[in-house]
Amino acid sequence: MTKKKKSILSDQRFIVLLVVIALTAIFSFMSKEFRQYNTMLSLLDFSYYDLLMAIGVTFPLITGGVDLSIGTGMVCYALIGGTLIRSHGIPVIVAMLVCVLLGVLIGTLNGVLIGVMNLPPFLATLCTCMITRGAGSLCTATPWPGLTQEGGWFHSIFKLTIGTGRSADRYPIGFLWMVILVLLMEFVLNHTKFGRYTIAIGSNKEAAALSGINVKFYHVMVYVVCGLFTGLAAIAYAAVTPTVQPGTGAGLEMDAIGGVFVGGVAATGGYGSVLGTFVGIFVIMLLKTGLPYIGLQANWQQIITGLVLIVAVLIDIIKEKKAAAL
Amino acid sequence: MTIKKLVALGLSAAMVASMTAAPVFAAEEADPAAQFEGLKANEAYEFPMMVKSFQSTYWQAAVEGMQKAADELGVTFTPQGPNSESDIADQVNMINTAIAAKPVGMGLAACDTSSVTEALQKCVDDGIPVVTFDTGVSDAPEGSVVAEVVTDNAQAGSVAAENMYAAIKDVIANAEGQVIIGEINQDATAQNIQLRGAGFINKMIELIKADGKTVAVAGNEFYVNAAEGADAEEADADVVIQVAVPAQTTVELCSTEAQAILSKENCIAVFGSNQVAAEGVLAANANLNVLGSDAAAGDVIGVGFDAGSIIKAAVQDGTFLGAVTQSPLMMGYYAIYALTAAANGDEVEDVPTAGYWYDSTNMEDESIAPNLYD
Repeated sequence: MTKKKKSILSDQRFIVLLVVIALTAIFSFMSKEFRQYNTMLSLLDFSYYDLLMAIGVTFPLITGGVDLSIGTGMVCYALIGGTLIRSHGIPVIVAMLVCVLLGVLIGTLNGVLIGVMNLPPFLATLCTCMITRGAGSLCTATPWPGLTQEGGWFHSIFKLTIGTGRSADRYPIGFLWMVILVLLMEFVLNHTKFGRYTIAIGSNKEAAALSGINVKFYHVMVYVVCGLFTGLAAIAYAAVTPTVQPGTGAGLEMDAIGGVFVGGVAATGGYGSVLGTFVGIFVIMLLKTGLPYIGLQANWQQIITGLVLIVAVLIDIIKEKKAAAL
Repeated sequence: MTIKKLVALGLSAAMVASMTAAPVFAAEEADPAAQFEGLKANEAYEFPMMVKSFQSTYWQAAVEGMQKAADELGVTFTPQGPNSESDIADQVNMINTAIAAKPVGMGLAACDTSSVTEALQKCVDDGIPVVTFDTGVSDAPEGSVVAEVVTDNAQAGSVAAENMYAAIKDVIANAEGQVIIGEINQDATAQNIQLRGAGFINKMIELIKADGKTVAVAGNEFYVNAAEGADAEEADADVVIQVAVPAQTTVELCSTEAQAILSKENCIAVFGSNQVAAEGVLAANANLNVLGSDAAAGDVIGVGFDAGSIIKAAVQDGTFLGAVTQSPLMMGYYAIYALTAAANGDEVEDVPTAGYWYDSTNMEDESIAPNLYD
């Protein structure tokens, strides 16, 4: 039986893209202030760390696992980096490397616990979540250098500011890097051994092992990659948060994971796409940033975001059922 | 018989008279801190001090004050707090655990005033004196809280309103259409934030109406209901005070709420009622760049609260018109003193601290500078 060519319209990612466009249109129509360039700048500013976390966590989710430590981990690395800069005079570039290294370290820990020692991912990453939350709390609330202060150059990675004060021009070049990273990781997922084995582990771990794949190694690498992106997210978070505060971060992983599911990762693993994650995160960001502009109070924002997530996962499950019935 | 009765009556009258005279003398004692003069701890007490969280440097300053007092008195303390000021359930658990260890006294800064009443009742039953600091507990069970070491938050809020109004009253007077004053409160559950937010709103309403303009309050239900005297309809009012409270006490969420208000063209001023909210306002301003000190030129007037290096820098360079600082150092300090006195078995009085306005002109003053923690 020949496979019917999947129409682009039934691709969940396309549907989500339509949702993104629809939400943007609705908010722009309902709120004059939402339509401004500055609003889009702010939305993008705050999207980078969510997006980086989401790109990273796409891989564990494809294997049917999860990484709950990304939120508190991100804050922990940013706190440690900030403390190194403020209290020990370490240059910003070294602090950035430290963030990434710490991310890789915790990612390796997660990977070993899950891939080698076979702990359930939910449990293992919950434990590392608590560890990183506690470790971060050992530091005091620290700001990374501001744009105009010494060492503030790292802000320009995400947003180019030409000129000063009110008349300055600001360009969100971070968005460019995000697009490049997304395209890169999508290529990695679909065209490299690592990516394909990740999907294989998610579809059927035993079959993958039986066909000679070094499942343990690749399973660990999945979490290392996730940790790497969490380290990058920490830099993006520090760039946009005035003072990184200990004790925060719990809950941020839910935005990232939610975005990945909206983007079409199968709830049980075995299928996923970094492009899907990209549009999925924008749904979350639009809701988070846009709902206040149309006057909704905070409680309604959370209710609506939750409902949108349920609908997104339901669509995915219904599609799978239909495909299985064929 | 009658003479005996008369004498008894006379003596009782004298007793009552002397009792009423005592408060008069006490009122003349201007410094409530004087009650601690020469205080010595009877034992090396150990107190659990429940802070709201260690989220901001404000609490670190409070712990510094506690340490200073503890060193002077020879007592020890353990500061404990949940991860963030919205982790109410975590704090209640910590409080219950601390009470179960039967300490000689406990310091408390409650994240949510209504969640701790049960724990406070247990303290009464177990004879554990409680000193609240930074934020009081309204409707505390009788006898549970022996003293409050808190800022008069309603006063602090109104100080912010007064100074802000001085800068914007001409803009309001000359405005052609409706103008908006924003207020960002990190929550609507902690008493200190509630009093501060409401204090600001009510003072602002008073000042606006005194100059003949109408005002309405919109946004978060708690603060809308707490406002007094805002009788205009939102659509017709000359001034609308827009109150936003995010879902969690984080800077990012405060910033999103602040952005929604700051981006409105007719927003003329905004108040962030604590360190987290004020930093959220500054983060929102990073792209919008509307804050400044020249209202006549179209700047949006920003007023912050508390200190911390970000807010101090903003006040220094004029992004914020100014801010109101508390004295977390002294609050922690007096909380330990009050607890020691209570553990000794003495009566303790409340130690109210004030909120001080500071701007670029008086930041270095001797009376203000020590309160401006990093």
